[in-house]
Amino acid sequence: MTFEIQVKNLTKKYPNGIKALNGVDLQIKKGHLFALLGPNGAGKSTLVRILTTLIHKDSGSFSIGGISPEHNFSQMQKYIGVALQDNELDPNETVVSLLRFQGQLFGMTNKQAQARAERLIDLFKLNTEQNKKAGKLSGGNKRRLHCALALVHKPKVLFLDEPTVGMDPQARHMFWDVITDLNTNEKVTILLTTQYLEEADKYASEMAMIIDGNIQYTGDIAKFKDMMHPNKNTSLEESYLTYLNTLTNIENN
Amino acid sequence: MNTATKTLITRGIVKLIKQPQTPLMGFAMSLFFLLVYNAGIGGIGDLDVFGKGQYFAFIFPITIISLSMGSSAGAGQALNADLQSGYFRRLYLSPVSRWVLVMAPMLADTISSILFTGILLGIGAIFGLPFQFGILSVFGILLLSMLWSVTLCGFSAGIMLRTGQYQNAAIITNAVFPLLFLSTTFLPRELIKAKWLLTVSWGNPVTYILEANRYLLGGTASVNYFYISLAVLVTTSILSVVYAQISARKIKVWI
Repeated sequence: MTFEIQVKNLTKKYPNGIKALNGVDLQIKKGHLFALLGPNGAGKSTLVRILTTLIHKDSGSFSIGGISPEHNFSQMQKYIGVALQDNELDPNETVVSLLRFQGQLFGMTNKQAQARAERLIDLFKLNTEQNKKAGKLSGGNKRRLHCALALVHKPKVLFLDEPTVGMDPQARHMFWDVITDLNTNEKVTILLTTQYLEEADKYASEMAMIIDGNIQYTGDIAKFKDMMHPNKNTSLEESYLTYLNTLTNIENN
Repeated sequence: MNTATKTLITRGIVKLIKQPQTPLMGFAMSLFFLLVYNAGIGGIGDLDVFGKGQYFAFIFPITIISLSMGSSAGAGQALNADLQSGYFRRLYLSPVSRWVLVMAPMLADTISSILFTGILLGIGAIFGLPFQFGILSVFGILLLSMLWSVTLCGFSAGIMLRTGQYQNAAIITNAVFPLLFLSTTFLPRELIKAKWLLTVSWGNPVTYILEANRYLLGGTASVNYFYISLAVLVTTSILSVVYAQISARKIKVWI
């Protein structure tokens, strides 16, 4: 079995004493759309930030596409695409110039970067906004641009941290069309964190549940739902809530 | 230099062109110093100690030094703008090394400083500024200006990266400002009567930069000042770059 993302015994404690990750193990298969779920503060964003090299781990190890950041940082950055919760945009640059610049950062020539920028503008339907400064875009369009930037260099693994926050239903629909197409046709592995469980339910095939820095469940979404409500066709959201309630009851008793 | 590095440096320069307030302020401040000092105390230039360029050539180096001081906060402010908008994270996630991310705005600032120094020298030449060694004097002054600019930019960027406060990018300018007055800025050593000021001026690096420039312009200082100045500025430039790079590692803590 080929695992695109392999995480072994990852730990992270913040300077304020909060233990964000307590020995996380995770394996994500190549070409899968994987949802990382859990309540706020459970450790999802910390895990994503470690895997994307934004913050250091305390201990443990991980590799993506067989690449470990300690050994080949630059290759790793080319392999992954990242769209985090916050919009990381230069507000004074236009949509097209940000996309073009992103391409050049990844070694594209001016011509290649321009062509890629135009392709992504079409894909994310930003045509009418392409000459607007990023700071002047609506919240939804900022998110779209943000995700487009993560795809400029055609990554093999995509990290999406709450990608559709602030998007209207139409924009979300369009966004997921692009992402599922990448996942299905180009076999891009996607790690998604979201609080919109209907999105995880609809688009992801596997999931992990993280609570207090520990992975509590990892596996098929369908199996998780069946485990929570056997022989009932329930939603992921219902199963998720049942799981959390069960945990709370166990803790209280 | 790879495409990504060139792209980042170009971005820094384009940003300075689009938002030129910081280097223009430095330039305006330098011209102001030149105008005011020359108009106010230029009359003493008839004394022999000021040489053939008279007081204009004597006071000119201070405008070059203050030019870099005025614009040195630019690198720190550029880094800060990217950190505040979150765009630095996007740059951080590219295959460009951390070293280049910090060096690019410093280089852009230094290039801008050299450019404005060139313009200042051009203005000086129009008003009769002598160049003791012709074009070699110009290159020498540009070299000293570049090293001085790197020194200030590196410390400025480093302080900003450590504190995360863009206001702190100007700390280095404020710290260096008094050094301008604790030196042979307005009068040659022979005319300074206060012993304490003479003593302090020996330990003040600005003195050597001033005198090195005077050697290259009016020829009123010894060549030794040029060598000492070069040694001092190469050392401070290296220290400054190292400081900025060490500070860059701290970014992760508050990213």
